[in-house]
Amino acid sequence: MESEERNGESNRHHRAPKKPRFAEFITESEIRSEFAHHQNGIARINNGSFGCCPGSVLADQREWQLRFLEQPDDFYFNVLRRGLLESRTVVKDLINADDVEEVSLVDNATTAAAIVLQKLGRGFVDGRYQRNDTVVMFNCAFESVKKSIQAHVTRVGGSTVEVRLPFPVSSNDEIIAAFRKGLEKGKADGRTVRLAIIDHITSMPCVLMPVRELVKICREEGVEQVFVDAAHAMGSVKVDVKEIGADYYVSNLHKWFFCPPSAAFFYCKKHSSGSDVHHPVVSHEYGNGLPIESAWIGTRDYSSQLVVPSVMKFLNRFEGGIEGIMKRNHDEAVRMGIMLADAWGTNLGSPPEMCVGMAMIGLPSKLALQSEEDGKKLRSYLRVHCGVEVPIYFQGLSDGEEGVRDKDGGVITAYVRISHQVYNRVEDYERLRDAILRIRSLSEPFLQH
Amino acid sequence: MASLSSPPDEAAYRNCHPKRLSSNGAIEPTSDFFKRPKICPRSSNFNSPIEIESEFSHHDSSSARINNGSFGCCPASILVLQREWQLRFLRQPDRFYFDDLKPKIAESRAVIRRLINADQVDEISLVDNATTAAAIVLQQTAWAFREGRFQRGDAVVMLHYAYGSVKKSVEAYVTRAGGHVIEVQLPFPVESTDEIVGRFRNALETGKANGKRVRLALIDHVTSMPSVVIPIKELVKICREEGVDQVFVDAAHGIGCVDVDVKEIGADFYTSNLHKWFFAPPSVAFLYCKKSDSASPDLHHPVVSSEYGNGLAIESSWVGTRDYSAQLVVPSILEFVNRFEGGIDGIKKRNHDAVVEMGQMLAKAWGTQLGCPPEMCASMIMVGLPPCLGVSSDSDALKLRTLLRERFRIEVPIYFRPPKDGEIDPITSYARISHQIYNKPDDYYRFRDAVNELVNDGFRCTSLPD
Repeated sequence: MESEERNGESNRHHRAPKKPRFAEFITESEIRSEFAHHQNGIARINNGSFGCCPGSVLADQREWQLRFLEQPDDFYFNVLRRGLLESRTVVKDLINADDVEEVSLVDNATTAAAIVLQKLGRGFVDGRYQRNDTVVMFNCAFESVKKSIQAHVTRVGGSTVEVRLPFPVSSNDEIIAAFRKGLEKGKADGRTVRLAIIDHITSMPCVLMPVRELVKICREEGVEQVFVDAAHAMGSVKVDVKEIGADYYVSNLHKWFFCPPSAAFFYCKKHSSGSDVHHPVVSHEYGNGLPIESAWIGTRDYSSQLVVPSVMKFLNRFEGGIEGIMKRNHDEAVRMGIMLADAWGTNLGSPPEMCVGMAMIGLPSKLALQSEEDGKKLRSYLRVHCGVEVPIYFQGLSDGEEGVRDKDGGVITAYVRISHQVYNRVEDYERLRDAILRIRSLSEPFLQH
Repeated sequence: MASLSSPPDEAAYRNCHPKRLSSNGAIEPTSDFFKRPKICPRSSNFNSPIEIESEFSHHDSSSARINNGSFGCCPASILVLQREWQLRFLRQPDRFYFDDLKPKIAESRAVIRRLINADQVDEISLVDNATTAAAIVLQQTAWAFREGRFQRGDAVVMLHYAYGSVKKSVEAYVTRAGGHVIEVQLPFPVESTDEIVGRFRNALETGKANGKRVRLALIDHVTSMPSVVIPIKELVKICREEGVDQVFVDAAHGIGCVDVDVKEIGADFYTSNLHKWFFAPPSVAFLYCKKSDSASPDLHHPVVSSEYGNGLAIESSWVGTRDYSAQLVVPSILEFVNRFEGGIDGIKKRNHDAVVEMGQMLAKAWGTQLGCPPEMCASMIMVGLPPCLGVSSDSDALKLRTLLRERFRIEVPIYFRPPKDGEIDPITSYARISHQIYNKPDDYYRFRDAVNELVNDGFRCTSLPD
C-alpha cells in the first residue's frame, strides 16, 4: 500500500497481537469452508450492508451462549463483565485509545447515535443550548441517524444543517469546501454548532471521507462536539481515534470485523464527552459510566460482543492480519470497479484513494433509472433473477447540474456499491457485469418488465 | 419450520398417572405431587420425564438450579430452531431483511396477542426485555413533563420493591424531567392482599396532595425481591377510580408465571419477559400498549432507526442490525408448551403446586416460615432462613448466596429483610426458590441439607470475608 497517510490512519504499528512466526496462512479452501454457511449460487457483493462472520467465530460464539445457558447466575456474576472487558481491551489497543474506560460495546452504530443525540437533546431541554443551535451533518448520513436527530434534537428546538456531499467526487478538497460552507451556515445568526456528525466512510453513496481534516476544521470553527459515525471503518481502514481527534467515534464490528450480529464499539473521549453519556436502556448500572451501563442492559445474549478475541485469532491467520485483509479488499474492490466501469462504459464514483473495500460504479444510462424506487426494483431483479446481491444508489440531478455522461451519451443516474470481502471471487463481479450488460441490451427498458 | 403438535393422546395421559391399589382393591391416585411424573404430555412425541432431562441437558447437572426466576431457561429443541433462524440470516442477510424478518416478527406478535387477550396486534411490540420496555414507557412520561403536559411535581407512584433497573430508569427519565416519585412501602412478610391495597391507596392520596396529579402508576405483577404476587386487577381499578393518568404493569415474571389477560387487568402498558417463564432464548419480551384515543403519541423505541414514526411495534422490529432470532421462535415455543398437559396453564399450575410444597417442606425443616401465603405466590416462593445464620445486610445475603453456589453448588437468591423495632429473633433472610419443569425434589432437599449443615456447624455470615 502507498505509504502516504489516508485519513485517520498511519503506518505506525499499533499493539495488535502478533502472528505466530511459523504458522501457515489460511488457504483459499479454508476460507471457503469458513464461509460455507453463505448461500451457494449468490454473488454476494454487499458485505457493506450486513457484514459476515466466519464459522470458527460462530463456533466460539456458540460456546459463550452455552456457557450462559448452562449456569446463567454464575455467568452473570463471574464471567460476563470480565469477558466484555477483554473485548474492550482488544478494541482499545486496535484503535489507539488512551484508556479502556473510553471504550464501550453496544449493539450497533444506531445505538451509539441514540446515545449521543439523547445527550445533545438534554442540552436543549436543560437550557444550556439556545433554540436553533445547530447540528451539522452530511445529507448522506445514515437514515437512522437523521431520524434520531429528529427524535431527540429537532423536537426540543435544535436545528440541522445538511451538507450536500458532492458525488461523484474527485478529491477531498471538494468535500472539505462543502463542509466549510455548511459550518458557516450552522453558525449564521449568532448560533452555535453544538454537534458535527461526520461519517468516516459514508454509506450511500460510499466514499472515504477526509475525516481528520474535517475534525480539525470543526475545532478551528468552534464546533462544540464532533461525532464520527464510522459504521464501516473497523476492518476497512486503520482507525486511530487520537489522530482523528473526535469526541465520539463508533464503528460496527459485524460489518468488516467478522463479529456475529451484532456488535459495535463506541469510543467517548475522556474529558470532552463528560459524564452525562448514558445508554438509553437504563439498568441498575445507571451512573456507573457508559462502559458499565452498556455491559448490562438487562438479560440478553451478549455473546457477539464476547468473541472479539476469537476474531483476532481468525484475522491473524491471514497474511498481514487485518491490515493485509484491508489492503487486499481495497485493491480488489478498485480493480473490480475499474473492470465494471470499463465493461459498462461508465465511471467510478470516486478515485481509488477514496474507496475502501467498497466502490461505487456508475450504471449504464440505458437502464433509465429515474427514481429510488427504480433502483430498488433493479436490486430485487438482480437478486431474484440473476443471483446477485448488490445495493443500488440513485442520484437525480440537482438544478443546473450537468451530470456525468457514459459512453452511450446518456446521464448516469445510479451507481452500484460493490463490496469485497475475503470470501469474494472474481466470478461474483463478472456475474454482475454480465447481468447488467444483458439488461442494457434488452430492446425494452427492463423496468417495463 | 417447527413440527406441528400432535393430537392429544388419552392413553398416554392415563399411563402417566400411577395409581395404587387401596386395601379394598380400589384404584386411587397418589396424592403426593412428587410421586407423579412431572409432566403429562398430550403428544405421543413426548413420552416420559426423561425427555425433559434431555431438553435441559445443557444445564449444569451438578447445580441445584432453583433460581429460574432470575434468568429463565430454554429447552434444547427451541435452541435448535433459534440456531436455524440465525443461520437463515447469515446465509443471505439482505434477502432475510427484505423478505422474511418483518412478516416473521408479525407472526410472533400475533401469537402473543392471542395469548394475552389483547384486542389488536398493533398493541404488541417485541423488545429485548422488561428493562427496555420500562425505558420506552418512562421516556414518554419524561416527554410529557418536559413539554408541560404534566406539571413539575406531579407524581409517579411505584412500589418500593420495584426492580432496581426500573427504579434507575425512573430516576433517569422521570425525576430528571421534574416528576416526583412516591414509593409504596409494602410489608414483608405479608399476610394478605389487603395490606398491599391499603398502602397503595395511601400512596395515591399522597400523590394527589396539594393539587398535584398522579401521572403514572408503575406496579409489578410479581415483585422480584422479595417475590410476591401483587393484586394487580384491584390496584388498576383503584388507579382508575383515583384518576391516575396511566398504569404501567411491570410483569417481568408474567407469561408462564401468572395469568395474563391484559383486558381484564386493564392497564395502559403491560410488559413481560418471555425468556424467564416462557422458554424463550435470551432474550425477548413483549410490551403491550393499550390503544385508546388518549393514548400517548410519544411511544418510541429509544434506539431510533429508519422506522421512526411508524408505530412502536414497527420501530421495535428494526433497531439496526442485530440478532432477532429470539423474537422469531415465539410460535415454536407455543407449540412446545402445548405438548404439555394443559399447555402453559398446566405448567403454571404444576410449578405453583410444587414450589408451595417445597417451600413448606423447607420452612418446616428449618423451623421458619413462608414470606407470604400460597395464594400470593406463583412459581416462586420466599422461604425464611434460620436467623442463626446471622444475615444482617444485603452484602451478607450476597455472600451467603455465593457460598451456597461455591460450596454446595446450589443456585438460589437470598433476600435480606431488615429487622423492625420490637421484633424478637426475627427472620432476616429469605431464599427465593423457583420451580420450573426441569426441577426435581432433590434440588430442594440439597438446599435443605446445606442450610442444616451450616446451622449445625454454627455458621454465621460475619465469618465470611468481604
